[in-house]
Amino acid sequence: MAQDQTITRHFFRPGTGDDGLRPPCEVACPIHTDAQRYIQLVAAGRYADALEVIRDTNALPQSIGRICAHPCEDACRRGQVDEPIAICNIKREASDGAKAEGRGYDPPRPQFGDRKVAIIGSGPSGLAAAHDLALMGIRPVVYERQPEAGGFLRTGILNYRLPKDILDEDIAYITGMGVEIRTGVAIGEDVGFDELAAEHDAVLIAVGLSESRSLPVAGVDNRGVLLAVPFLEAVNAGREVPELGKEIIVIGGGNVAIDVARSARRVSGGDVTMVCLEADHEMPAHDWEVRDAVAEGVKIVCSQGPNAIVGDGQVEGLEMKRCESVFDEQGRFAPTFCETELSTLPGDTVIISIGQMSDMSFLGGSGPELDGRGILVFDREQCATTRRGVFASGEVVTGPGAAVSAMASGKRAAIAIGKFLGVDVDFPAEPRAVNELPGYVAGMINKGARRSVPARPEDERVRDFGEVELGLGEVDGRCEASRCLLCAAGARYSETRCISCLTCVRVCPYAAPEADGNGLLKIDPDKCQACGICFTQCPAKAIDLAVLSEDDIRAAVDAALEGSGEVEFGCWYPQTRVAAEAGAVMLPCTARLSLGLVLYAFEAGAGRVHVAVCSEDDNGRFVTGHRQTRAVVEEGRRALQEIGLDPEALVLTLVKEKKCLKPQQ
Amino acid sequence: MITAERKPFEQIRAVTDQFGKVLVVGCNTCVAVCLTGGEKEAEVLASQLRIARGQDGIAGSVETVTVLRQCENEYLDAISEQVKAADLVLSTACSIGPQGIAERFPGVRVAPAMNTNMMAVVKGHHHWAEYCVACGDCGIFNTGGICPIARCAKTLINGPCGGSQGGRCEISPDVECVWQLIHDQLVSLGLEENLRKISGPKKWSSANTGGPRSMKKEGFKP
Ligand SMILES: Cc1cc2nc3c(=O)[nH]c(=O)nc-3n(C[C@H](O)[C@H](O)[C@H](O)COP(=O)(O)OP(=O)(O)OC[C@H]3O[C@@H](n4cnc5c(N)ncnc54)[C@H](O)[C@@H]3O)c2cc1C
Ligand code: SF4
Ligand code: SF4
Repeated sequence: MAQDQTITRHFFRPGTGDDGLRPPCEVACPIHTDAQRYIQLVAAGRYADALEVIRDTNALPQSIGRICAHPCEDACRRGQVDEPIAICNIKREASDGAKAEGRGYDPPRPQFGDRKVAIIGSGPSGLAAAHDLALMGIRPVVYERQPEAGGFLRTGILNYRLPKDILDEDIAYITGMGVEIRTGVAIGEDVGFDELAAEHDAVLIAVGLSESRSLPVAGVDNRGVLLAVPFLEAVNAGREVPELGKEIIVIGGGNVAIDVARSARRVSGGDVTMVCLEADHEMPAHDWEVRDAVAEGVKIVCSQGPNAIVGDGQVEGLEMKRCESVFDEQGRFAPTFCETELSTLPGDTVIISIGQMSDMSFLGGSGPELDGRGILVFDREQCATTRRGVFASGEVVTGPGAAVSAMASGKRAAIAIGKFLGVDVDFPAEPRAVNELPGYVAGMINKGARRSVPARPEDERVRDFGEVELGLGEVDGRCEASRCLLCAAGARYSETRCISCLTCVRVCPYAAPEADGNGLLKIDPDKCQACGICFTQCPAKAIDLAVLSEDDIRAAVDAALEGSGEVEFGCWYPQTRVAAEAGAVMLPCTARLSLGLVLYAFEAGAGRVHVAVCSEDDNGRFVTGHRQTRAVVEEGRRALQEIGLDPEALVLTLVKEKKCLKPQQ
Repeated sequence: MITAERKPFEQIRAVTDQFGKVLVVGCNTCVAVCLTGGEKEAEVLASQLRIARGQDGIAGSVETVTVLRQCENEYLDAISEQVKAADLVLSTACSIGPQGIAERFPGVRVAPAMNTNMMAVVKGHHHWAEYCVACGDCGIFNTGGICPIARCAKTLINGPCGGSQGGRCEISPDVECVWQLIHDQLVSLGLEENLRKISGPKKWSSANTGGPRSMKKEGFKP
C-alpha cells in the first residue's frame, strides 16, 4: 500500500484548521445529541446505528422522538433556506426502523459497585439521571409515588401523543440496565426523607412540579371547577371524571392547557373553548400544538382574563375581562386589564391550567433548605442543595420547560453525584455552534420541502386516545433526513500540509476558503457546505472532510468489495442507486469523489466502478458538484486507458428520478 | 511558477518496468501548484503503476513520498533512507528535481516522470500560460508589460508580423497575437508612439544560448 508520508509537514507551522465548531442543532439540544450523525444514518437507512447514536445521550429515545419540543429545529440552518429538518420525527423514525429490524433494544448491563443513590421521582429527569448513574457503575434506586413510572410523560401527556406502551418500552430498557424503580412509594409518607438519606450514599430530588396552580377569583369552589394536573392524571389513568360536562372552558394558553383541551374534547365529546390572556401570536403553546388542537375542533378565545366563575354551586360560565397587555416593558409577566369590558362565556365545566408548582412538604423540615417562597435553595453549577449529598434536578429546580431540558438537568446531576462519589467524570464543556448561513450561501442551496408526518383524520382521532401522528415511514423519513445540510461537517485543512496554492479558493462554489496576503488559508465553517470539491482538487492532500473523510471512504470501498466485485459511488438521497449488484459507497454527493479514490477502488479489486451523477440541468445537491463528478470520471477513464484497463469499466450513470427533491406524495 | 506535465504513461512504464522497488517522489511546490506532480498526483501515478504492474505480473513495489522542494538538498536529505532503499526513484518534479536527486545520491537510479514545460502565470483553475523564457534581459517596460519574447511565436521584438489576423496568431486561431495585445495596451496607456520606435538587436548572451547559467550573490557566506 502507498506509504502516506509527507516530509513537507516538518517545514510548516503545526495546526489543523479545525476549530471544533458543532452543528447548531446539536448545540441547541439541551442534551447535545449528535443529531446530524443520526440524521445521516437514517438517510442511509441505518436505523439501529442511528438509534445507538441517540441512546448515547438520550435515555428515553422513543418517547422524546414523539413529544420533544425540539429546540434543535428552531436552530436548524436549513430553516434559512426553506424549512428546518424534521429532526424530532427523524428521531422517531430511527427507533421505529430499528425496532422493525429487531435491533437496538437490548440494554447494556453495567456492573454496580456497593454505592447506591436514591432518586425521588421517575420523570424524565430522574430517569435520565438513573440511566447515566447506572452507566457509571452506581446503583440507582428510583422512588415514585404514582403506581407507574414516567412522571408527567405518564400522568400529563396523553396517549394520543405518547402511547403508554412506547413509554413502557423506554422505561423497560432502563430497568433492563439494572435500575430499580419502586413505584407506589411516596417519600415523606411511606418513607421519611431522613431515613432515605441515611440508607443511600446520595439523594437526588427530581420531583417535578406536581401541583396545579389555582386562581384567586370568585366562584372557584363551584362544582365543575377542575385543576389541570389531577384532570390529566385521571384521564391518563382511565378514571371517570364525573364533574366533566359538555361545555368546557379551559383557562390557559400553554402547552399543558392544549393537552387539557384536546383530552377534554376526547373524553366529553362536547364543546371545548380555551381562554387565554395572550393575543394569538403571543400564546405560549407551540404553534404546532395550537394547530392540532384547532384541527380537532378546540376553540380559542384570546386576550381575555378570568374575572369570576359564574354559578351558584354549579359552574354556569366564565366572566371574562379584556386583557390589554400581558408583559411589561422588561418583558416580565404583568397583565393589565380593562376592568369595564366584561363578557361571559357560558359553560358547565372550567379547567384551570395556568401552571404548575412544586410540593416540597415531603422534606418534612429536616431536608435541604427552602427559600421564602418555598423553593429549594440550589447551586445550578454543582446541582447541589444545601444538604451535603443531596442533589436536585428537573423542573423542581429549573421551572417548567421541555422534557428534554429536565433530562439535561438530570444528566448534569448524575455527573455531579458521580463526582461526589469519586467517579472519574466531569461536566462536559459547552459546545459552540457555527453561525448562520451567509445570505448568499443560503440562496445557493436547492430548495426541497420538509416532509410532514401523516396524521389520522381529525374527525376520527377526536373519538379515541389512539396515537395521532403515524411516523414518517421509510421513504419520507430518508428523504427528510437527506435534506440535512451537514453543518460544520465540511472541509478541514491541515496547516502543516497546505502549500498556499489557492486551488481551494478557486474551486469552492461558496467562497468558503480565503487566503490572506501570505497565503495563509482559512476555510470559513459558516460558508462551507461540505461538497468536497476542494478536497478532490487540493494537490497537497491538505484538505479532508470532517464527516466521511478520505479514510472513511476507503474503508467503505473495502467493505463494499467484501460482498461484490463492483463498487457504486452513489448519492445518498434515497432511491438513487444506479447499480443494484454493486457494493455501495454512499456519499452526500459524488462531487466528493477524487481520482485517487476511483483508482483506489480498482486497486482494491473492483472489476467495475459505477458513479451516480445528476443531470446537468436539475443541478444536484451542490451547484457545481455534477461537473466535478463528470470531470473525475473522464480523468479516471483516461487513467484506466493509460494502464491498459477498459475505460468503460468506469461507468457514469445518470440518476433520473430524485424523488427526494420532489414534493411529498 | 514552473509548470511540468506528466510524460505519457507508456514511456514511464518502459523505464519503471525494469525495476523492482520503485519510489515515486512528489514535489509540493511548483508542480503541486500546477496540479501535476504534488503529493496527490504522485500517489495517483503510483496507484496506476501498481495496477498496471500487477496485471503484468511485475514483482516489486511502488511507494510514494513527497518533499516540499526537490531543488533543495535539505529537503532531499529527509528522504535519503527511502531513496537509497529504492531500485528506481521516479520524480514528479520538473527536471530540476530528478537532477537534484541524482546529484545528491550518487549511485541511485533516477528517472523523470515529467516534462518541464514553462514558466507560467495561472490563468484560472486548470489553466496556465507561458509568460517568460528567462532571456536574462527583461524589456517589457517598453511593451506595456507584455513579453513578446515568450509570447510571440516568432520572438519578434518589432512586431507584429503580417500574420496577425483579427488579434490571432497565424500559427493557430487558438493563439492570441501578443503584438495585438501590446498595441492595445500601449494605446490604452497613451504610448502608441512607442510602436513607431524600432528596438535594436536584443542581447542574447544573457539567455540560455549564452551557455549554462548560474547565479551567486555577494554577502554573508555561512
Ligand atoms: C400535559 C403536559 C404536556 C407536556 N407536553 C410536553 C411535550 O409535548 N414535550 C415536552 O418536551 N415536554 C412536555 N411536557 C413537560 C414535561 O412533561 C416535563 O418537562 C417533564 O416531565 C419534567 O420532568 P421532571 O422529571 O422534572 O418531573 P416530572 O415529570 O413531573 O416527574 C416528577 C415525578 O416525581 C414524582 N414525585 C413527586 N413527589 C414525590 C414524592 N414525594 N415521592 C415520590 N415521588 C414523587 C411525581 O409523581 C412524578 O412522577 C408536558 C407536561 C405536561 C404536564
Ligand atoms: S441542516 Fe442538518 S446539521 Fe444543520 S442544523 Fe439542520 S439538522 Fe443540524
Ligand atoms: S469546496 Fe465544498 S467542501 Fe470545500 S470549502 Fe467549499 S463548500 Fe466546503
